[in-house]
This record gives sequence, structure tokens and C-alpha cells, in this order.
Amino acid sequence: MSLEELFKEIIIEHYQHPKNQGHLEHPDAKSDGSNPLCGDEIAMELIFDGNVVRNVMFTGNGCSISQSAASLITEAIKGKTIEETRTIMNEYKNMLAGKEYNADILGDLEALSDVKRYPARVKCASLSVAVLDQALQQKK
Amino acid sequence: MDIERIRKDFPVLSRMVRDKKLVYLDNAATTQKPSVVIDAVADLYKNYNANVHRGVYLLAEESTQAYEDSREAVRRFINANSTKEIVFTRNATEALNLIAYTWGEANIHAGDEIVVSIMEHHSNYVPWFRLAHRKGAVIKIVPSRMDGELDMDAFKSMLSDKTKLVGIVHMSNVFGTINPVKEITALAHKKGAAVVVDGAQSAPHMKIDVRDIDCDFFAVSGHKMLGPTGIGALYAKESYLESMEPFLSGGEMILKVTLDSVVYNELPWKFEAGTPNYEGAIGLKAAIGYLEKMGMDTIESYERELTAYALEKMKTVPGIFIYGPLRAEKKGGIIAFNIKGVHSHDIGTILDSEGIAIRAGHHCAQPLMIDCGVSAMARASFYFYNTKQEIDSLVAALKKSKEIFGHVA
Ligand SMILES: Cc1ncc(COP(=O)(O)O)c(C=O)c1O
Repeated sequence: MSLEELFKEIIIEHYQHPKNQGHLEHPDAKSDGSNPLCGDEIAMELIFDGNVVRNVMFTGNGCSISQSAASLITEAIKGKTIEETRTIMNEYKNMLAGKEYNADILGDLEALSDVKRYPARVKCASLSVAVLDQALQQKK
Repeated sequence: MDIERIRKDFPVLSRMVRDKKLVYLDNAATTQKPSVVIDAVADLYKNYNANVHRGVYLLAEESTQAYEDSREAVRRFINANSTKEIVFTRNATEALNLIAYTWGEANIHAGDEIVVSIMEHHSNYVPWFRLAHRKGAVIKIVPSRMDGELDMDAFKSMLSDKTKLVGIVHMSNVFGTINPVKEITALAHKKGAAVVVDGAQSAPHMKIDVRDIDCDFFAVSGHKMLGPTGIGALYAKESYLESMEPFLSGGEMILKVTLDSVVYNELPWKFEAGTPNYEGAIGLKAAIGYLEKMGMDTIESYERELTAYALEKMKTVPGIFIYGPLRAEKKGGIIAFNIKGVHSHDIGTILDSEGIAIRAGHHCAQPLMIDCGVSAMARASFYFYNTKQEIDSLVAALKKSKEIFGHVA
């Protein structure tokens, strides 16, 4: 269990220079969440185009894991259909839970795979999907 | 002080963590236990376990005696007048809630003012916040100064004839600041207000004299002073306890019950409903014995030296910001900090990989976090079994965490 595996370059890159950070005008759905124990915060805003996530942005503050996860996951789902988005989220949850997962579907998100070995940090990595879950429920 | 010999008294300190020697620097959360405490608890169960204050047989006499001896140990440790003034609770939190639900419920009314500081742990804020809500009372918050000390001018200006209660943390669990509780008590008493001192962090690390402070209530947690978890104590002046209604009710807290009348037990048992945590109390007595043998003055001066050393060394970490007083004379062995570009959780994980245990998060003091403009801090907190070498390990690991996250501005 080495730190370099947890804090991969790509994670630190997304933490220091997050993608899709900011707000959207007139989002179709928005949601936020926090981890009360550690204070990580994530808010997500989405715009849909029919069945497709046309745009997604997040704001938040917290540790490298929670913030890089938000950056990576927004990158992963932008332009995907809702169904594809749900598949990505499920594979990601499987990965964090230590179950089998499809690496091809996850792409760069697989960088967070070592988080599962740090039980105290799984919550940090899961916050974004929990927030995204809530936001997707607003899509009729 | 022979630290190496002292460390041998604490079995867990010789543990390896992730192939490294454990460096335990989360003593403000809870302290490790010496063998005498572990053995005292085991001895109860091996040799004389029986419910206290109930049996007429020898085992029950012995367990009751041990339980009440522990009360005497607590009395002596904080220099209370009488064991009638020592109520065992689960922890400091329960002690503070006991005050709010008994004395507070009867004595705080609409329009009354409760003064607490911005440094309070949630356990000395939320009970008063809720009480104020129930009663329509007003809470006033004493700010801290830029140097991490309490703003005494602001405190004085907040006191008025409406002030009914002052709640103050003796040693902040974030800043480490030692607040001038004796002066605060004298000022509050002039206005006729009762004073609650949260001693959860101070009692383990410095000599406490509740008669000298003259506070009306003082709360401690056993687990932060070498004792087992689940045992704490409330000190309250006898005159207060006499006038207060019981908190919880049931067995133990009564003298006589008929179907239409109840006579409460004498002090302090009136406030101890149900089978108490006598296991915890017996462990706490052993813990107090250990501390007294070392001497609180010795502990305080060694920890001050350690804190001064840590403050000096930690300053050399690039991008570090230390919260609270920067002079060891002003504080206990608690240092909260952040490092620019490295979130405190990440610091916590990186330190853990080196076997170093610290705390990251809001430290149950969210109003203080908000006041400092952050959502989380890292915190190293010491006890007398920590060493300068351990602080060197801490500082090296902090530098490493800065390296992992690159030298961002
Ligand atoms: C200053 C202070 N007060 C109260 C408490 C509450 O202690 P307990 O959780 O043991 O009740 C703590 C514990 O962290 C503390 O640091």
C-alpha cells in the first residue's frame, strides 16, 4: 500500500486544476452534499439535452480525493446518455466497494481505485456520485 | 523524566503501525492507557465483581468501596470540598447536559443571557443553544483575538445583569489556549451568573483546583486522562446540587419509593440513576493514581517544553499555518494547523502511512472553524509519553506531504 498509488499524479492534477468547476446558467438539475465528519462539500449542476447530459459543473471544497473525484466524474459523464451515466456510476461504486468492475467504462476514473484500501477515505470518493444520484432523480 | 521507562507503562505505544513505530499524537481525542488502568479493570472482573450499592455480601462491599474510593480520588484530583460534589457521568458531554437539563431548565428564562466563547467544543455549545431555544434566552459569543486568546474586553462588555450563565472551555481542544477561568468566574459572579467550566482538555494536563477557580460546575472525561471510556465526572458546588432536580431517574437515585411518592437519594447519588459504570470509575482511580504519582506540575512543564519544541519545528514546514497562540506559555500541547495546497485529510492519510496518528476535520468545534474561515484543520496533540523524536517524525512527514502535493504556491 503505497502513497504514490493513492495520490496518483492524475489525482493531484485534477485536485489542483479541476475540470468543470463553476456554475451553469439555468441548470435543469442541481444537488449538493457534504460529509459531516470531515466537511467535504460538493454541489453539482446539470443541463440535459433530451436523454443526454449536455453539460455538468461542480463547486466544492475538501480533500484531494473528494475534489478530484468530482472533476473526473464530471469529465466522464459529460456528453453521455443518462443510461451510460448510471452505468459509469455503478461501475465506480463497485470499484470503491472492492467488487469487480469494468475498467474500460471507467477510463480515467480508475485512478481512484486505490481509495478502497483506505476505508476512512471511501466516503470522500463517494460524495460526488451520491450528489449526482440525487441530481439525476430530478430528471423526469 | 525517564520517558523510555514511562512509555513501557503503555502497552499500545510499542505497537507497529504499517511497519512503522506508532507515533500517537491524537491525545486530545483520547489518551492511551497504562497497564495499571487496564489491570485495575481486569482485577475487578477477575476478583470482586458485584453491582455497587446493592449487595450485602463481601464482593459487593469491595466493589462499592472501590467505586466510592474513585470518587474520593476525583475529589482530591480537582480539590473539591467533598465527595458529595462529585457526580459520575459517562463523559464531559453528559456532565454538561446534566447541568443544562437540571439547573438550566429551572433557572434560565425568556430574555436571560448565556455567555459562551467561540472556542467551545460542541458539547459546551449545543446544550446551551438548545436550552436557549426552549426558553427564549439569548446566547452571546465571546470572540477570540488574533493571537488565539480569548477577547477578555469583549467578555467584560457582554456581561450584564441579564447574564445567568457563563460557559467556558478551560483549554481549547483546537487552539490549545488556556483561558483565564478564575478571572472569568470572578467577573461572572459579580453579575450573579453561574459559571460552567469545560475541563475535558485541562484536567489531564494541569493541576486543577476548583475551589481556587471558584466555578460552580466543572466537567471532565476520564478517557482523556488515561482512564477508560464511558466514565466522566461533574463537579458542582454542593449548594447547586442540593437545589437541582435529578437528571435521569430510576434505581440508585432514590431513598424511598411508594406508588405515590418518591424520596430522592442523598448527594451525589441523587444524580446517578441506574447501575453506574463502576468498571470505568475503578479504572479512572488507577489513572488518577498514575497522574498523581507523576505529578501534574511535572506533566505540565514537560508538555510545555514539548509544545515549544513542536511550535519551533513545525514553523519550518513550507506553507504551514498554525492556529491559536504561538507561544507555549499560553497553551497546552495542542497544535492545529493547515498546510497550503494539502488538505488536512490528505495530511492525515500521509501521516498514517508513516505510523503517525493525528486528527483531521472540524474537531467538534464548527463555529470556531467558520470563524477561522476553514472547514477543517489538522491537529497534533501531545501527552507526557510523547517525545521530541516523535515530533521530528511528525515534521518530516509534514514536509513529505507537502512534497507529494508538489510545491504549489
Ligand atoms: C474541550 C472539550 N470539551 C468536551 C469534550 C467532550 O468530551 P467527551 O466526548 O468525552 O464527552 C471534548 C472532547 O473532545 C473536548 O475536547
